[in-house]
Formats: sequence, structure tokens, C-alpha cells
Amino acid sequence: MTSSYYGRDEEVVQRLRPEPMTAEEEAAQAGIEDIDFDIFRHKMHMIALEGKETTMKLGASTAMRWGDVAFGIFTAQGDLAICATGIYHHAVLGQIPIKYIVKHWRDEPSVGVRDGDAFFYNDPFYGGVHAADMGLAIPVFAGNRLICFVGAAVHTGECGGTEPGGTVQNAKSKYYEGLQMPPIKVGEKYALREDLLNMFAAMNRDPRTMILDLKARLAAARIVQRRILALVNEKGADFVIGALRRVLKVTGEAARQKIAALNDGVYRQPRFLDMVGSEPGLTRINLTVIKKGDRLTLDLTGSSPMLHDKPLNSFFQGLIGLAMVYFCGWFFHDLPANNGLLEAVDWKFPDDSLVNAKGEVSTSLAPVVQSYFAHAMFLCGARMVYSSDPKRAVAAWFSGFAIPIYAGVNQAGEPVADITPEINATGAGGRSDMDGVDGAGAFFATVSDCSDVEATEADRPVVYLFRNFFNGSYGHGKYRGGAGAGIGLMVHHVPWLAMGSMGAGAHFPSTLGLFGGNAVPPTFVQTVDGSNMKALMRANDSPIARSLAEVYSAMNPEQGERKFNDIDMVVRPRLNGDTSYISVSGGGGYGDPIEREPAAVLRDLKFGRTTAWAAQNIYHVVYDPDSLRLDEAATTARRQEVRQHRIARGRPYDEFMAEWRKLTPPKDILKYYGSYPDPEAGFAPQALPKAVNM
Amino acid sequence: MGFNIGIDIGGTFTDCFVTGDSGLILACKTPTTHYDLSVGFMKGMRELARLSGKPLDVFLSETDSVRYSTTVGTNAVIERTGPKLGLITTAGFEDTIFLGRARNWADGVSMAEMRDQARIRKPEPLIQPDMVVGIRERMDSAGQVLMPLSREDVLEKVQALVDRGAMGFVVSLLWSFMNPEHEHMVKEIIEEEYPEDYLGSLPVVLSSDVSAKSGEYPRTMTAIVNAYIHGVMADEINKLSNELRDSGFKRPITLVHNTGGTKKASRTRAVLTHNAGPVAGMYGAAFQGRSTGDQNIVFTDMGGTSFDIGVIANGEMKSHDFIPVIDRWRTNIPAVEVKSIGAGGGSIAWINKLMGNALEVGPQSAGSMPGPACYDQGGAEPTVTDADLVLGFYNPDNYLGGKMLLDPDLAAEVIEKKIARPLGLSVAEAAWRIRRLVDAQMGQETFNEVALKGHDPRIFSLYACGGAGAAHACDFAGYIGIKRIVAPFSSSVYGAFGASIMKIKEVWERSRSLKIFQWARQKYLDDIESFNRPVRELKELAIRDLRLEGYDERQIKFTLELDMRYGSQYNLTKVTSPRLEIASADDFRELCELFMARYAEIYSAEAGFPQGGVNIEGFFLTAEVMTEDPRLPVEKSAPATPESQAHKGKRAVFWEPKEGYVDTDIYDWTALHPGNMIAGPAIIESPQTTFVIPKGWQFSMDTFRNGILERTDVAVAKQPERIGSLS
Repeated sequence: MTSSYYGRDEEVVQRLRPEPMTAEEEAAQAGIEDIDFDIFRHKMHMIALEGKETTMKLGASTAMRWGDVAFGIFTAQGDLAICATGIYHHAVLGQIPIKYIVKHWRDEPSVGVRDGDAFFYNDPFYGGVHAADMGLAIPVFAGNRLICFVGAAVHTGECGGTEPGGTVQNAKSKYYEGLQMPPIKVGEKYALREDLLNMFAAMNRDPRTMILDLKARLAAARIVQRRILALVNEKGADFVIGALRRVLKVTGEAARQKIAALNDGVYRQPRFLDMVGSEPGLTRINLTVIKKGDRLTLDLTGSSPMLHDKPLNSFFQGLIGLAMVYFCGWFFHDLPANNGLLEAVDWKFPDDSLVNAKGEVSTSLAPVVQSYFAHAMFLCGARMVYSSDPKRAVAAWFSGFAIPIYAGVNQAGEPVADITPEINATGAGGRSDMDGVDGAGAFFATVSDCSDVEATEADRPVVYLFRNFFNGSYGHGKYRGGAGAGIGLMVHHVPWLAMGSMGAGAHFPSTLGLFGGNAVPPTFVQTVDGSNMKALMRANDSPIARSLAEVYSAMNPEQGERKFNDIDMVVRPRLNGDTSYISVSGGGGYGDPIEREPAAVLRDLKFGRTTAWAAQNIYHVVYDPDSLRLDEAATTARRQEVRQHRIARGRPYDEFMAEWRKLTPPKDILKYYGSYPDPEAGFAPQALPKAVNM
Repeated sequence: MGFNIGIDIGGTFTDCFVTGDSGLILACKTPTTHYDLSVGFMKGMRELARLSGKPLDVFLSETDSVRYSTTVGTNAVIERTGPKLGLITTAGFEDTIFLGRARNWADGVSMAEMRDQARIRKPEPLIQPDMVVGIRERMDSAGQVLMPLSREDVLEKVQALVDRGAMGFVVSLLWSFMNPEHEHMVKEIIEEEYPEDYLGSLPVVLSSDVSAKSGEYPRTMTAIVNAYIHGVMADEINKLSNELRDSGFKRPITLVHNTGGTKKASRTRAVLTHNAGPVAGMYGAAFQGRSTGDQNIVFTDMGGTSFDIGVIANGEMKSHDFIPVIDRWRTNIPAVEVKSIGAGGGSIAWINKLMGNALEVGPQSAGSMPGPACYDQGGAEPTVTDADLVLGFYNPDNYLGGKMLLDPDLAAEVIEKKIARPLGLSVAEAAWRIRRLVDAQMGQETFNEVALKGHDPRIFSLYACGGAGAAHACDFAGYIGIKRIVAPFSSSVYGAFGASIMKIKEVWERSRSLKIFQWARQKYLDDIESFNRPVRELKELAIRDLRLEGYDERQIKFTLELDMRYGSQYNLTKVTSPRLEIASADDFRELCELFMARYAEIYSAEAGFPQGGVNIEGFFLTAEVMTEDPRLPVEKSAPATPESQAHKGKRAVFWEPKEGYVDTDIYDWTALHPGNMIAGPAIIESPQTTFVIPKGWQFSMDTFRNGILERTDVAVAKQPERIGSLS
């Protein structure tokens, strides 16, 4: 009888840390020389890198083309031992589907796990994020012996939901989200099943991309399989099995050692979210990090309740995946990236909260929940490391998401449905000794690429009106956040294109500053239907906007039906010539802006990286506006004045809190929050919708 | 036939090589003079003349060509010594080069630096933001004008750049590779305003001229780097040409290109000279491979700080689907790919305490100053060279022919202190581990370079060049599965050797997107002219250019390569077209089949998806002038057993921990003759390098005096077992 009861397996998703060592793994440890192990680590990393590069080369979706790719080598039990990626969470979370395969399919006669098999998955319960994130894994056998699994996981831009482009902002349950496959065998005997590919294609608005992406994952996995088998041939199966396990062991020990070196402490960072999908609504993600001895505990107690008919939920494992993004890229950047790191981490997620989704609720906007959590992780992490390694106390990169979505038919008559790549152009956070990097990438997919405009326009029916840094996109500070980018898009070549966007941080900042640095300004979308842009371009007798700042200027000559939309803008048809304007934001500021070197402010002003308003009103620099020459004495005096003003505004803490407690957000935006201010005090006050799981 | 001279400027030495009548070859090294490269260059010329036994003016007057691989352009980029340039781009895209596709902070940095997200930085730009102007114009993806150019707008923006001190202009507009009309108009406007006979005349570089390829960031950077180094290079070449002319060489100087060919300096785009030295070395390996019977070659060059890797498949060097990075800048030049990793004799060994005291080697290097501890120049870190010395592979009194004395006590001391004691090992075993680790890294990186291009490394021969190549090749070859190594007779000046024999060649390229099998119609393209037109245009450009160098169309060999992909994939796979002109849709079918076969070979048949459409995205036409290859001197064969004077005695060498130090035969390379064979374990000392021949390998010298190292215990290198349908 099958071990599956056709329901979700709550047990397997708990197994994020390394499995207990098997007798086989234990026995294999004895034969591994230190020097051979050091060589093995390097070799396996190079093999995984080849897997990642191959996946990128062969894929077609925006995320795959531009490097948001995870490739992992997993033990035979499913633990991630080696990964090559900038998108660590998919690699770490990729172990759950593999553990599921081992648990349910390995001994199931009607399925089985055999040489030449390939397994696909995109059920967010196992993949940890949302349905657009899809993975493929294969077992690696030497003879009849299962050595390991290898696989790739990447966001494919379309998954057949009720709204195109991978996310469904009006989702009321998971059934709105389109394809959701628990791990399923899609290939055997080294051949993909054409009938299943046909099914995947039929359920997708962009079938070509779906198939190319799936085949890219498989081709990369097959190459890595070959390399591992060559190693097995050379060193023996026991060596490979034992060494993969040993990587986990030494990583866990190293992680604990690194944590032990930090001061003990409790670090708190509540985060507030402004959108619950297509409507505004306040929710809270409440992170407390407890560092004691050689362990970290991530406690999410105090987060808002699960949203039964909204897509803004996340499975807990997805948040752990995002914690690994911070751990691998910042905190443990000098240790191997694998789930051995989690040997040093504990977690606590309240039941029925939006960070611990259950049942059939939608998690289509889980990336938003998770990136807000990651933002809290950044801020707690910065405080944790500051006393021992201040250079790695970094303000957060943009954590809000702001992604244009499109679907339709392109200029060659081919279906397309995906996102544009500028989410990979956000700014990095300020640092203790330097500004954040302008246009650095996406924090969750480091070393990713925002593409050339020409590459996007080549087969997408849009024209970019501009793509420049947006000097109103980052947090100011002693060291400012890196600037994000502003883009203008116009429908071109085709009569219409469905366009929308997804994200958060439209009503108040998504990304806060650090140690007195400013937050990142909110982001939203402007659309102009029936725009005269094409006529303006043809005439070319007056300048059109070439940056977001100019879009909002009084001089902007564009005419049409102008709308200001939340960043979560459900797709709607846009006609040829219609325009959209959106920004992906920059990083948080570090330190008090009035401590910024005036020369740095003037340099930014000269290069258009900041505005005169900010120079005068945030940095309080006094200068000659024509020559940009600094008036040092006046600046010092002005800043002293600001400090005096601040002191004058200061009040005793108790007095401040007495006033503060009287304040409450408007009631209509609190309906998803839980009880205010502490959501858990009256948990689940939200009335269940009349019909759930519609 | 007169002399052909090759010059290769390196970080430490300027290498010089000359071929002449009757197989004459001469070589020398002079210190690179960074303050003025021409000083070292001319010193090399004088040394070559001396070796030839002729006065400099006679030697140079008898010289047919001087082929020069220079780093002057690269140095100008790294040191930011180029001119103040202005960039004219499409309004709304002024920040393209600063945004740098977001990931430009990671271009040209190591893996470890990429992992450390908290400390990332973007490179200091070659053009500051205030020197970039956007002009009001726009083409769409089909090359149709959406927004016409405004002359007044261009004039205003150009004037602004001139006022800010521009000494030259780069023009890079969106979609200019599809329709360069607006770029040409900008150039005309500037030239009208600042005519050439005015002192204020300023050079104008168009991106569509330098690099007519899709992708505005790499195209713009290619044009910028070209403009940035153009003046510096022109000055140097003029100076050298004058000095050579004054010394008796009356012909134009020829430059080595990173595309694997040479062109007259006056017909060279500066950006094509970047990293040409290793490419010249690869060319030399491909050339010699034809006489040693090696068609598939992994070229390696192990120096003090870096290890270069290049792949020659079926006798050809190709510009693969990689993105050439110059300093920190992505470009799209059609360069032959050479990968450099931070591993060499100077690589530093260290202990990673966090990882349970794991031993690591590199990427930090002691460089040439202070260098390894054994150089006795103040080096305080254990390096690979120190390990080699402690293990007995190097002779402290005869390293590089005795030109540099090494101190084994200093080497042992630093390994003892920094590695052996903390790990609880003997000094010898610690040294042995350092050597094994660096060999594993070089071997694995080399394996990946070959494998990522879809080749089976086991059918390749390895060319081991550079000062430390022959000392490590047998060991790192084990990680690649290679059984045959060639250590060429001129391995320490191999770039100069390659330069001296390189042919005239240039690559003409253009991005054009053709859906030759269409997803929407499930049919092959029937517009034949859409293929033939761009090829014809490229051919005309090539013929016109080479005519100006004095060559006739009949002397030119054309090769057409195509960048192809499935449907909407981003990355491209290169396919050699069997024809320059196609006649029917059936020819498109043939191209699709060639692409599918190549794709299946690299990525497995399971990965193909022809139903989703097959595109051509780029055309590469290589035009090579057919000239006769030089002949290298051949020595007579001698018996297999070396003469007794070649055997210099024995030295204790630490090959394996289980055996400890073992007395090992030492040979003198200069006393060996072609046909001599030496079975490992043995060491051969030459004035240029040291051959390390472990047990299971055999050395022989061929008639060109190349060292051939072959594995004799082939049973050790097992074939991977068959897996399913993939084998």
C-alpha cells in the first residue's frame, strides 16, 4: 500500500536540518583522508557550479535567463550538501521534495526511484514558496546503490493561475494558483514522458518557456550526474556518500563555532506589511532572534494570523529558506552553503499565523512575506555582528518586491507570460564605512542580472521609455542605501498586452534604515491609458520623461488617463501606446544623514544620485546651487541647529509611550492584523470568509 | 624568407622569439619596463640581434614582421590612465553603464569575493556620470525609428560634454546594431561642428562600428574600452614604430589580437589587443599540435600568480559563448576564451580554522614581490613553490638554470610554522598536501573548462607552459583524466613563440535574429535573403579591409559561425555553417539539424526542444589570409637511453607520505636528445623549467625538443561507467 494518503505530509516539511547519520554514512567516514576531503569539497563545488551555469544557459524564463537559479547536490537521504547559487532558499528548500520522494516513492512499487528517473515539483507546500517556483531532481545511482540526488529549482514566470505571470493577487485559496504538483515522476529510463510534458504545456499560458525551463533543469542535472559518477568510479561510492555527509557535519560545527563567538543577546524586529494582495491591509511579521551560546533561535511569536482568503501567507519552511539567504550571503559567507548551517538554528512559529500557513490557503504572495521576514533578519543580524565585525553590519537591501507582470502574444505571434527582470536591479543597504551599491541585484538572488533592455525588447512586445537610477528610491543616511531603478514601459508592436505588477511597500516603507539611517520610500505604479507618448516621440519637439523624477515633474508633457496604482496591481489589458511607470527601490540608509560627509552629498547631487531637496532638507548641507561649492561653516551651523531642534523635541520615554499608545491605525486596514497592537492577544479575530477554498 | 619576431609583454618579463631561415629559432627574456614598455621591447630586439650574430640594423632590415602582443591597453584600463571621454547615449538610458546589468560588481572578481555580500563594490567607472548625456531618439527592436533624432538636441548635448572637458566621444544608442543611422548622424553632426582641421577636433567612436551586437551594456562598454585605450595604444605603437624604423625595420608593426590572429597596427581596434598573450600561446599550441599529432589540446600556463587555461578542439581555437571581461567590464569582443584562476607557484597555503582546520591554497598570492619565502625577499607565507622546494622537486642551486638561488631552510621554516605544526604533520607531509591541493584545484578548473564546452577531457592532450607547468602537469592531469602531456621546447616564452607564427585574421560579426524554424507556424523560414544579406555584408567588409592590407580575395579563407538557440533561451550555442550562402529552406533544415546535434552532444539529447523554435541570433565571419606555415628546426633522433652525462645524480624527493623521501634520478635537459626516454620517478632540470615525472609516467623528447609525458599506468584512469543512454 502506498505511504501517501493523498494529503499534505506535515512531517516531512519539518525535516530541514540534516537527517541522522545512517549506518552507511557512518561507516563511510572512516575511509576519508583529510586531504581527499579538502579536494572533494572543491571538486563538488565546481561540479555544482557547472550545474548552475548549464541551467541558466538553457532556460528561457526571465528568472532562469538572469541567474535566479539554484543548483544542489543532496545526500541519498535528501539533505542539501553542496550548492552553487545566488538563490539559496530554493536550494535549501529543494531538500523537502527530495525527502518526500525518498519517504513516499522510493519503496512504492507503482512509482519507485530508479536510475534514469526524473522528478518534478512545484507544490509550494514542499517547494516552500509559491507555485511559480518549480524544481526538478534526479537520483544518482552507482549500480543499484543510490548515491545522492541532484537538482535545480528556479522561478518559471507562469504557472496557469487565474491571473497570469506566476502570482495571483486575488487568490482566495490555493486552487486559484494553477499548477501545483507534489513531487511527481516525469521521466524514466532517461526519457521525459511526452504525455506529462503535454499536460504541463496545456496548463500554462507560455508553454514553450515551461518546457524549455523544465528541460534546462534536467540537462543540468544529467551533466552533474555524469560528473558524480566519474568521481564514484575513481574514489568509490563509499567515499562519495561519506564525504557528502561529512560536508554537512563540518558545516554544522563551523556554524556553531561562528555563532558562539558572538555576544549573547535578544534582537527584536517587528515588520509591518501594507498589502494583502490586491487590497491594502496591515499585517505584522514579528521576528525575535535569541542568540545564546552556539545557537540562534528565530521566534515569530506575535505575527498576524493566517489570511484565509488572501494570498499573503507563507509556509514556515519558506521563512527558514529566506533566513538561509541571509546566512549564506552575509552571516556565514565564509562557510559552505548547505543545510548543515541549520544545525545551529532553532525556530518557533505560532500556529495559524500568516508565517505558518496551513490547509488550503493561498501562498501566492509568499515571496513578499518571506522577503519582509528576511528584512527583519538583516536588521537583527546587523545588530548581532556589529560588536565583533562591524563591516558586516549592513542595512537591508530593498525587501519589498516591485515586479511588472505581463502576458499576451509577442511581435512574432508567440505566447508570452512572465515578469520583467528589474527586480534584479535593487539597491544594497548602507554600511558602516561605505554606501550601499547602486543597482546591486536582488538580495534573495545575489549575482543576478537585470538584463539588457535590448534582450527584453527583442521578444517582448514593449518599449522601455527609460531605465535609469531613481534618486528617490533609497534610504538616506551617513552612508546611504544604493539606488534602485525606475523604468517606463510602453506597449508596442501588438494591439494589446495584459500588464500588472506585484509587490509591497506602497503605503509605507518596506525597508527600514539601520542605526539612524532612513527607510526606503514607498513604491507604486503610475499608468497612463490612451497615452499620447507615441505621438510625442514621433514629433520630438519637447523632452519626454527620462526618469521617474521627470515622470512626476510638472513639465511632463504626456497626456492620457493617468492613474496611481498600488504596487500590487492586478493585470489588465493595456493597449498599444499605453504606458506604465514603476520603480524597484534601493537599500536602507546606515547612520544619521546629518553625519554624512557634505562632499559625498554634493558628489551625489552632481551625478544626479540625490536631489537638491534631500541635500538641503535631509542632509542639511549648505552650498551654492550653481557651482555646488560647499559652505562648510554654514553646514556645520545648520546641522548643529538640527541637533538642537531634535533635543528640544525629545521627551522622556514613558511620556512618549503614553501618547503613542493612544494612537491606532485606521480600523479598516486592521481587519487582517489580529488584535492591535499584539496580534496574538486576541488571535484569529478575523471572521472566516463565508465560503473558504472557493 | 627573413626573420619573424614575436614579442609578448608579461607582468614580469618581456618574452621575445624569432624564427628565421632554415629553421633558425632564437629566444630571450628581458625584464618588463612598466614605466615605458618600449624600453624592454627594444632591449629584447638588441638581445635577439646579438643572439643572431648580426648588428641590430642588419637584423631588423632582414626582418619580415614584428608581431607584438602588448598589455599597454589593458594597463591603461586597470590604472585608469585613459583620456576623459564623453558618452552619448539614448535619453532615458544614461545610467546603463553604471547599472551594469546590476551584476557588474561581480564581473572580474573571485568566487570568495562574490560570496561576501556585505562588502561588494562596483568598479570605479571609466566615464563619470556627469560625462554621460542622453539624446532624444529611439529605435525599436526591428530597427524602426520611433523617435527621430533632433540636430539641435545633439548639438546642445555635445557642447555640454565639450564644456566639461571631453577629449573624445563614444556614441552608443539603443538598437544601433540593427539600424546605425542615428549613430552615424551624431558622428556627422560632431564632425561638422568640430572638423578635423580644427585643433578642437575630437575622435568619435560608434558602438555599431566597434561591436554590432545585441546587448546595450556590453556593446557600450566595448566601445568605451576601445576609445579609452585607443590613444594610449596609438602613442605607444607610433613610438615603437619610429624606434624600429630608426633601427632598420621599415615595415609596419603587426599586433596580436585576442581573436587568434594578427593585423597591422594601423588596421587594429585597440580593444582586440586585450589578453592577447595567452591567446598567442594557444595559437602556438594549436600550431605545434599539427606536428605532434594533437588536435584536441588543453593549453595551460602556470606562472607565479595565475594559471591560464584554454581549449583547442579539432585543431581550432574558438570564441565560445562566454562574456569577455576586461578588468571589471563586460564586453562582447569575439575573443578566444582564456580562463585565469588564482593558482600558481606563489599561491599561499593557509588554514581555515572555521572549517575544522581545513587546508586551503590561494587565491591569495605572494606574487613576485615578496614572493615565496624561499626567494629570501621577505616572504612570510608558505607558497606552492616553497612546498615544491621542501619536497625536493626543485634544486635550490639550479632553479631556472641557477639564475635564482632558493633557500630551502626558509621554505621549511614557514611551512613548519604556518601549516605543519598547527595540523600536527611533518613538514614534508604538509608540503605534500599543499602541492596536492593546488594540483587538484588546477585540475578541476581545467576539467570544468573543457567539460563546460561539451568536450570529453580524456581525449585531450595537455600543453604545459609557464615556468611551473612541467613541474605540476603530471599531477594535475590526473584530475582531468588526461594521459598525454606536451611540455613544449619554448614553454617559458610560449606567447612570444605563438605571436611569431600567427597569421593575419579578423572576425566580422553582427547580431541578427532569424527564426529559422518557427514555433508559431511549425515551419522552416523561407526568407533566404535574410540569411544571405548579412553574410554578404560581412564578407564585403572583410574583403575591403584586407585589400587595404594588400591582400587579394583569393588569398582569404572564410569561415562562418552562427550563434543559435532554441526559442526564447538566452544563451547561445555556436555552430559552424557548412556554407556561406543558402539556397533553400532545406538549408535552414540542415542548420537546425547541425545545431540540434551540437546541442545534444553538449547537453544530452533529452534537453533538446526543436518544436519550440530554432533561432539564429548572430553571424561571425572569420577571414584568414592563407600563408605558408614556418618550419621549426628538427633534431635527429638518438637512442632511447640518455647519454651518461645527462644523468646528474640523485636527490631525495618526497613523492608519497607512505614512502617518505626517496632518492630520485636527476637529469640535465640540455644533455638530452630526441628519442631519449626517462621513466618516472625522475626529475629533469632545464634552464627554463623543471620536469617532475612521477611513477607511472614516462618522459620522452621529440624531434622538436618538446618534452612528451605519457602515462604508463593507464589502468589507473578508469573510464566512467556507462549510465543509461547518456554514454
